[in-house]
Amino acid sequence: MSLTLSAEQAGRIEPLVAVLPVGVPAIETVGLRKAYRGSVVLHDLSLSVAPGEVFGFLGPNGAGKTTTVKILMGLVRPTAGTASIFGLPAGDREARRRVGYLPENFRFHDWLTGAGLLDFHGRLAGLSAEERRSRIPDAIARVGLAGRGDERIRTYSKGMTQRIGLAQAIFHRPDLVLLDEPTSALDPVGRREVRDLIHSLRDDGITVVLNSHLLSEVELVCDRVAIIDHGRVVRSGPLADLLGATTTIRVTVDRVDCELRTALNRYADVLAVEDATVTLGVSDVEVAPLIADAVVRGGYQLYGLAPVHRSLEDVFMDLVEGGEE
Amino acid sequence: MNILTIARFTIQEAISRRLILAGSLLSLAFIGLFALGFFLIYQNDSQLSGPLSDAQEQAAFGTIMTVLGLYAINFLAGFLALFLSVGAISGEIDSGALHAVLARPLRRAEFVIGRWLAYAGLSSVYVGLMAGSLLLSARLISGYTTPDPVRATLLMMLASIVLLTLSLLGSTLLSTLANGVVVFSLFGLAWLAGIIEFIGGVLSNEAMLNVGTTVSLLVPSDAIWRGASYYIQSPIFLAGMNAGEGIPFAGTAPPATQLVVWGLLYPLVLLGAAIMTFSHRDL
Repeated sequence: MSLTLSAEQAGRIEPLVAVLPVGVPAIETVGLRKAYRGSVVLHDLSLSVAPGEVFGFLGPNGAGKTTTVKILMGLVRPTAGTASIFGLPAGDREARRRVGYLPENFRFHDWLTGAGLLDFHGRLAGLSAEERRSRIPDAIARVGLAGRGDERIRTYSKGMTQRIGLAQAIFHRPDLVLLDEPTSALDPVGRREVRDLIHSLRDDGITVVLNSHLLSEVELVCDRVAIIDHGRVVRSGPLADLLGATTTIRVTVDRVDCELRTALNRYADVLAVEDATVTLGVSDVEVAPLIADAVVRGGYQLYGLAPVHRSLEDVFMDLVEGGEE
Repeated sequence: MNILTIARFTIQEAISRRLILAGSLLSLAFIGLFALGFFLIYQNDSQLSGPLSDAQEQAAFGTIMTVLGLYAINFLAGFLALFLSVGAISGEIDSGALHAVLARPLRRAEFVIGRWLAYAGLSSVYVGLMAGSLLLSARLISGYTTPDPVRATLLMMLASIVLLTLSLLGSTLLSTLANGVVVFSLFGLAWLAGIIEFIGGVLSNEAMLNVGTTVSLLVPSDAIWRGASYYIQSPIFLAGMNAGEGIPFAGTAPPATQLVVWGLLYPLVLLGAAIMTFSHRDL
C-alpha cells in the first residue's frame, strides 16, 4: 500500500521544513527514517516546531506519528536522519529533562497511588522533596483529580488514568509537552478540560505537540499542523493556511448563462454549475464582494453567496485518501 | 541517585504486590516445619538408641538435617530470584509502563542496575534470614554448630544473585514467558549437571565430570551451592567419608578459587550484557 499523490496534490505540498523565526526550534527533524526488518515506518520525515507553538501532528493509524514521538523521546533509534529538541540531540538526557511526555498507551504502575506516581516521576525528573510536596497536590487538582490522589491507579477509570498521565507530563514544568492521543479515553467534558489545559500551557509559553487522529480536537487547539501519512509529511503549515488554501464560494442566482460565467471568470474559476448555483474557486475570500457586485451589475438576481469552508477533515481526507485503497 | 530511586521503587513494588508478605509467611511456615521435623526426628532417634553420645553419629545427624534444610532454602531462594527478575524488563515493556519512565532524564543502565540492586538485596536478605533462622533452630534443638555459617550463607547469596542476573539478562532479550521457560530450564540443567558430576565422581568417569564442569561454567548456581554446602558439614562427618561418598546434592570439598572468582565475575558480565542489550533496544 503506497501513497500516490495526484499531480495536483503534489503541487500543493509546501517545502517540508517551514521557515521559522530565528532561534532554536523546539523540535527539528531532518530526513528521519525508521525501518523495522524491511518494513519502513518513516520515510524522510522532516518537520520543525517553533517554541511556544501548539503543534498538531495528524495522520491515520499507522502513519508513523507515535514512532516519531518515540524517536524524539529517545525510546526508538532512527535508522537515518536526525532529530533534536531545543537544539539538543533527541534522547539526550538534558533534552529529556525539558520535556513532558504522555505516551500513547498510557499505562502506569497501577500499584502506585496517583500521588505516588507523581512522586516517583518527580524524583526521576530531578525535583527536590520540597518541590514535589508543593506541586503534586496542585497538579492533581489541575487535571481534575482533587481528592483522588491517594487512591491506587489500579482503581482509576481509564479517563482518570489518562488524567494522571497528563499531570505526570506537566507537573515538572517542562518547556515542551508531547501528548500522544491525550484525549482518547476522555468524555466530551474531559476533552474540553484538556483543551483548556493546552491553552493554559500555551499561555505559559510552553510548546505543545499534540498527536491525534481526532481532527476536530486539533482544529480547536493547534496553531500549526503537519499531516503525515505513510511515514512522510504530506502537508504542513499554519492551520489557517491549510484550511483556507482552496476556498470556494457558492453563488446562487436566478439564471446562469455565458455572460455570467464570463463576468465571474474575471474573479474566480468556475468549478461547477448546478441548476442556478455556481461553485467558484477563489484565491482569497476577499473577492466575495466583487463577485456580488458583478452579479448585481449584470442584472441577475442574487439569492445567496457564501464561502464554503473546508474543515480539517476535508483537507485530511483529500491528502490521505490515496493511501486508503 | 537515579539508581537508588529505581531500587527503592522496585522494593516498594515488591511490598505493595504483597510479595514480601506472602514470602515471609511461607518462609516462617517453612522454618517452623523444619524445626518441628528436626525436633521429632531427633527425639525419635534419641529414644531408639539412647542419647546420641557418639560424636560421629551426632555430627552426621546434624549435618544431614542442616544440609537438607539449607538445600531446600537454596531451592526456594533460586525460585524467588527467578520469579522476581523474570519480567524485570520485559514485563515493564509489555505493560507499557516503561515508556513514561524512560522518557525521564534517566539512563537505561541506571534502570537496569537499580532493578538488579533491589532484587539482589531482596534475595540476599531472604537467604540471610532463612539460613540464619534454620541454623539457629538446628543449634537450639540438637546443639549442632555449623563450621562456617558466614561463608556458607554468603555463597548461597551469590548463587541466588547468579540466577537473578541470568534472568534479568533474559528479560532484556525475551518476553517474560519465553524468559521464564529458558531460565527455569537452565536452573534445572544446572541442578542435573551437579548430580551428573557427583555420579561422575563416584564412578570416576571423566566424561561425566566434564559435562558437570561445562554446565557449571554456563550456570554456576549449583556448583556454588555445592561449595557452600561444604561449609555446613561437620568436619567429623566429612572425615568419616570415603572418596566418592557423601550427600548426593552437597559437596565434599571447599569451592575452588576459580569457581568463586567466576561466580563473582558472572553477575557482573551478565549485568553488563543486560545493560548493553537493553540500551540498544527500541521500545
